[in-house]
Amino acid sequence: MSIRHVLAITRKEIYHILRDKMTLILVLFTPLFLLLLMAYALTVDLKHVPIAVLDYDRSQTSRAFVQQITAGQDLELYAQVDSMNEVESLLMRGEVKAVLIIDPAFERDLNALRSLPLQIIIDGTEPESGGFAVDHIGWRAEEYINQVLADQMRSLGIQIDNLQPIDLRVRAWYNPSLKPRNDLIPGLISMVLGFPALSVALTLAHEREHGTLEQLMATPVTRTELLLGKMIPYIIVGLINVILIPVAAILWFQIPFNGSFPLFFGLSAIFLFAVISMGVLVGVFMPTQASALALSFLVIFFPGFFLTGIFFPIASMPEMIRMESLFLPGTHYAIITRGVFLTGIGIDVLWPYAVMLFVLGISFTAVAALFFKKKLA
Amino acid sequence: MFSRIWAISIKEFLHLRYDWWLPAFMLVGGVIELLLIGWATSRPITNLPLMVLDHDQSASSREIVIALENSGTFQLESQVYDFQTIEAALERGQINAAMIIPPNFGDEMASANGQPTLSVILNGSESIPATTALRTVEGIARNIGEQVTVKRMGIKPETLARFNPSLRVWFNESLSEALYSTPAELGLMMEFIILLFAALTFSREKELGTLESLLVMPLTSLEIIIGKSIPVIIIGMLAFGSMLGMVHFVFDVPVRGSLGLLIILAFFYILVELGKGLVISVVSRTQHQAFLLVMLVGMIDFLFTGYAAPVDGMPQILQLLANFIPAHHWLEILRGILLKGAGLEVLWINVLALIILGVVIGAFSLRFVRRSLN
Repeated sequence: MSIRHVLAITRKEIYHILRDKMTLILVLFTPLFLLLLMAYALTVDLKHVPIAVLDYDRSQTSRAFVQQITAGQDLELYAQVDSMNEVESLLMRGEVKAVLIIDPAFERDLNALRSLPLQIIIDGTEPESGGFAVDHIGWRAEEYINQVLADQMRSLGIQIDNLQPIDLRVRAWYNPSLKPRNDLIPGLISMVLGFPALSVALTLAHEREHGTLEQLMATPVTRTELLLGKMIPYIIVGLINVILIPVAAILWFQIPFNGSFPLFFGLSAIFLFAVISMGVLVGVFMPTQASALALSFLVIFFPGFFLTGIFFPIASMPEMIRMESLFLPGTHYAIITRGVFLTGIGIDVLWPYAVMLFVLGISFTAVAALFFKKKLA
Repeated sequence: MFSRIWAISIKEFLHLRYDWWLPAFMLVGGVIELLLIGWATSRPITNLPLMVLDHDQSASSREIVIALENSGTFQLESQVYDFQTIEAALERGQINAAMIIPPNFGDEMASANGQPTLSVILNGSESIPATTALRTVEGIARNIGEQVTVKRMGIKPETLARFNPSLRVWFNESLSEALYSTPAELGLMMEFIILLFAALTFSREKELGTLESLLVMPLTSLEIIIGKSIPVIIIGMLAFGSMLGMVHFVFDVPVRGSLGLLIILAFFYILVELGKGLVISVVSRTQHQAFLLVMLVGMIDFLFTGYAAPVDGMPQILQLLANFIPAHHWLEILRGILLKGAGLEVLWINVLALIILGVVIGAFSLRFVRRSLN
């Protein structure tokens, strides 16, 4: 293998990207742009979730209770309704995410210290907002009843300071406020850095579709040299983003970066090698750009988004998919990005993932080179 | 005119036969992918690895450990005996949470005025499972704490007034994650299939230089556009039908509203996305460019389908922008008809928005594509 040959192919490919301004801009900035957009759109702080109240009791106590529940910024009393018909129409149109129904005997039961039925209906098509409403109504209701109970107990002469004797001390390491943005942004890096891989698959199919592959094969460049030469420009594109994205994450979103940047850069290069060789594999097998693109979406893009544990923990996935996720470079890289950004761990902990990425990259490239020969022969 | 349109459609289909991978991926690949993703992500969060450091080893502490195990949320790692193990495991990301039970826990629980403490450490570098873990641990502490209070006060459990909340979930009675997530995933697949296919129509001809030969034929630009659109619409409808069938039969997503209305609106939504795809197709000079633009447009649209975060919680400006995204209205319609059994009397606003967007995008697309073809 000759470095000169590899670089010649690389130079040709770089010319190809530079020739057209729009391609250049899109290739360079799509990852960063999408990351910024996702950071805003996917990590929302729910506030003022609209709820409705159907109060069958209409007593002073129930009114006070409703007031306490909607006192904060989290829940907003959208409507007081009188019948289930209204409840249905509000939920159907999605105007409220949850409805609180207060039993006719609310005040009486509360004074008698009986168990209190409390009905909550949520809109199951938006479980995120509905679950939020249930949690918050529950907390407020708990506060309210503890207050009432403590008063009652005192009047009965029972001294009790705390109805909840267990003192639960919770600490969240690495992300004390459990802000989703802090770990989603590092996780999403593994997804957006996969985009150059799709470009590689396209350029290989491009050569075949235009019939220029035969011309390239007629030159003294070997197959492996050709594949490596095609990969290098996109690894460079990826590495530019490896610098741009942490800068944006740190300056714009104030995501902590506790690890070492050179380590992050080096491991990112290995990840790019692995994921781009996946793109090469796709490009080698597909006859046209259109099919190369469709296959890249199916094996690189969608799995990279859904199956690498960015949103949904891999531990909860079915066994078979857990196995599959091990073959996705993004799974290992998501651990690396979160580790470097939040945990601040070093190579002593991260080396197995780096090795895994490297092995994946070598295997994908090797299979691609092998079949590349066969397909051309 | 119709025979000429038909001729172009036939030509497009012949092209598909030459590259049979493409329709195969779009029809079969989309369904399989949706099956895989739906299967992986539509389940409750369970099996989170947890470590317990039990300094107490009493009956009370074992009660806590058993409650943690029975919750289903956690997968208990082997017993640990020192804090260093927990520290290392957290650092390596091997566990999502750890609980430390102090040596006097059982005594404090038993004494009349004791204040038992439990320490919980969550791995914040994965905030979604960490939040689930927190909720579970809080629930366990509350239940056990309540029992202790009852015992201490010497009252009957039913005397301790408590809210007895009963939760009913409408439109998704068993609160199945699949009913919520798979329609959004279906919308995403469908959008990418149509956009990709439409965006490649003209960019491919342009790149390969065959567009000129098409233009010198005795065809009007409108005929070319319609002829090229028909295969996209057919593939789009087939993909939609097969994916809908799959989520219905595999993930038990109901079709509570009118299937006819859904199919008509799906057809209309495909036309809207087709219009977008055709614009991308003529502005891009190469297929590579077309792909990058599809990526950008498709991902932006996906964010407004409410998949990972409800649109209502987004910054004001993004909520405003959501009104101009066809996929946002389409998902409202899809969820409305499938899960709520809603009809036009409820969904008219989304349908109207989709129609307005469709007419605007369609008119623009037609004008734009025709001009650049002429």
